Amino acid sequence: MPVSRRKLAAALAVCVVLPLSACGSGDDGGSSDASGKIEGDITFQTWNLRANFKDYFEGLIADFEKKHPGTHVKWVDQPAEGYADKISADAAGGTLPDVVNVSPDLVAPLAKAGLALDLDKDAGQYRKEYLDGAWASHQIPGMSGTYAFPWYLNTGPLFYNKSLFEKAGLPADQPPTTYDELFEDALTIAEKTDGKVATLANVPTVEDFGRYGVPLMNQEGTGFAFNDPKGVELLTKYKELYDAKALDPQALTATPESSGKKFLTEAVAMNPGSALDLGNFKKQAPNLYKNIGITDQITSTGHVNMYVMGVMVNSQTKRKPAAIAFAHYVTDAQRQMSFAKKVAIFPSTAGSLDDPYFTEEDGTDETRVRVAAAKSLKNAVNYTPVLFSEQMKTELRNEVAKALQGKESPKEALDNAVKACDRLLQQQG
Amino acid sequence: MATASRVRRQLPVSPWLFAAPGLLVIGAFVLYPFVSTLINAFTDRRTLIEGEFVGLANFRELLHDDMFWIGLRNSTLYVLGVVPALVVLPLLLALLVQKNIPGIAFFRSAFYTPVVASIVVVGLIWVWLLDERGLVNAVLETIGVGRVGFLSDQWLLLLSAMAVTVWKGLGYYMIIYLAALANVPRELHEAAAVDGAGAVRRFLTVTVPAVRSTMVLVGALSSVAAFKVFSEVYLMAGPSGGPAGEDTTLVMLVQRTGTGLTGRVGYASAISVVVFVITVALMLLVLRADRRSET
Repeated sequence: MPVSRRKLAAALAVCVVLPLSACGSGDDGGSSDASGKIEGDITFQTWNLRANFKDYFEGLIADFEKKHPGTHVKWVDQPAEGYADKISADAAGGTLPDVVNVSPDLVAPLAKAGLALDLDKDAGQYRKEYLDGAWASHQIPGMSGTYAFPWYLNTGPLFYNKSLFEKAGLPADQPPTTYDELFEDALTIAEKTDGKVATLANVPTVEDFGRYGVPLMNQEGTGFAFNDPKGVELLTKYKELYDAKALDPQALTATPESSGKKFLTEAVAMNPGSALDLGNFKKQAPNLYKNIGITDQITSTGHVNMYVMGVMVNSQTKRKPAAIAFAHYVTDAQRQMSFAKKVAIFPSTAGSLDDPYFTEEDGTDETRVRVAAAKSLKNAVNYTPVLFSEQMKTELRNEVAKALQGKESPKEALDNAVKACDRLLQQQG
Repeated sequence: MATASRVRRQLPVSPWLFAAPGLLVIGAFVLYPFVSTLINAFTDRRTLIEGEFVGLANFRELLHDDMFWIGLRNSTLYVLGVVPALVVLPLLLALLVQKNIPGIAFFRSAFYTPVVASIVVVGLIWVWLLDERGLVNAVLETIGVGRVGFLSDQWLLLLSAMAVTVWKGLGYYMIIYLAALANVPRELHEAAAVDGAGAVRRFLTVTVPAVRSTMVLVGALSSVAAFKVFSEVYLMAGPSGGPAGEDTTLVMLVQRTGTGLTGRVGYASAISVVVFVITVALMLLVLRADRRSET
């Protein structure tokens, strides 16, 4: 059957456009006013939580829907790997869910692109429910406002292998508590084991510089400053450790996972971790578990590092009241407390850390770690600047590696890293 | 005349309907991304921010970007290291398993197994084997060689990744060679043998000329794949591309620069365009070398 070119072109155009039209979000008459009625369908995205907490979230969603008839929450969970890329694709394609589980470094570019709702404006009434530090963790230098509800916090102790300490002639019950002691012990262990046992498995990150007391950014938040003398001092010490094999030779290419594995296989003597790791040690490395020592994070500032998770509301949502209400519901004191009892995390809501669950020990390592972590969280700091992107982390890591290999002096390396990070910061806009 | 012109302006619809699904897929997943990358290469577009036209600025920046030159060096070295091995070794392997002797099917399958194995699994296995405390280093230590930093030295890392690429690709190219060898007339071998040619002579004067066009095909395919290497190096050298990023390849650089919420899509597209141009040049080079040797 012959057909004219015009008809064929029209048919092809329909074929091309029809599937694309399905991508449109469509206007279903929702409310973009925060004070409107809580109703309608919203989508909630979590970060690798379905596998272990399916029942918890299904229950939470059911309770919310019951409390607010007329709402329906669709829960999607994304794997940990490539989470930022998934958000990027959704944000660029206009399909970002209404409520999204984020970390501060993910919020920053979304807020700059106008995709994260300013909660100071639209949900400021909830601010007092959260710890001040946690609320501030989703504020972006150079911008006013707060762009996500703080959710759970985490921090952890420094684990060490008592057996490896003893083999090096160091007292197993006196782990290092200052940086000087840490570096001294690390050099002793390397010397006594002929370089076969390293004490640390990772090169210093921006968080390590922060914990050492290095200023990371200038006052205005417009440029990085970790190339100051204190930063150079830390990197020079790491270079000494690397040369003496007190820092694992594979540290230059290590990831947190690979260094954790090195600790499990007793190839390194110390590793930072969290209460979650104790279960892993017990299951995967019973021999290590018998010799596990637990000590506080080492810091020169008096503030330990904490990791913050947040829940962001998409500023483009068509169901703003429902999205804000749900994001608050997920992160309110009651829900956070109940989540914390299921997994070793800590609530960011004011007063929750004073609950006996976080203050009373029962003699087990688990509660000892939990109570110590909860105590340190009260004045903990999220050292990683929210504007410090993945590309910046790579720049710093590569320059640190050059210094450790002796290709550049620590000062040159940090100067170059700051220069590269400043350039990336400017390109971020 | 009017009828003739109407007939000329009309097209049979059936072929277009049959081709439509394919055309749609190619248009959406090949042509559109390709054109989009070309356009982006001349903009300063970022993941969440539409860019503006910047002319050749991205390409000028490439010239002064140390990491780009490191990537170009490593991708080129990868081609030089991997392609000769993947042209010759699978042919030898194919000759070994070509004969129909009892149990040969097991070896054919065994050699092909790495091809079907997931690259992530393969990469992780090799990382365990080559680790400072892995099996290979344990053996080397036992025989007195001492530990070798396969995963901490930039050159050994690159060589290790090349070895994995070759090991994984052997079976695939072996199958291609097996098909080519089946077409080599047995009489040629018999005639050469009657003339007194030994196994090596027969290989060089009968087998190689007979499968030369297949060797060119394997050379072209493996050089393009080697230049675009990503997974092996990423898995073995880590996301930062080895110590100080010295093992970064061009495709790794594209991934690192252009992805994430703060990705520089315009700049990464410019690197992609360079990768595309070099890949096409490589293909043309191989085909031209083949044509020249034919004349």
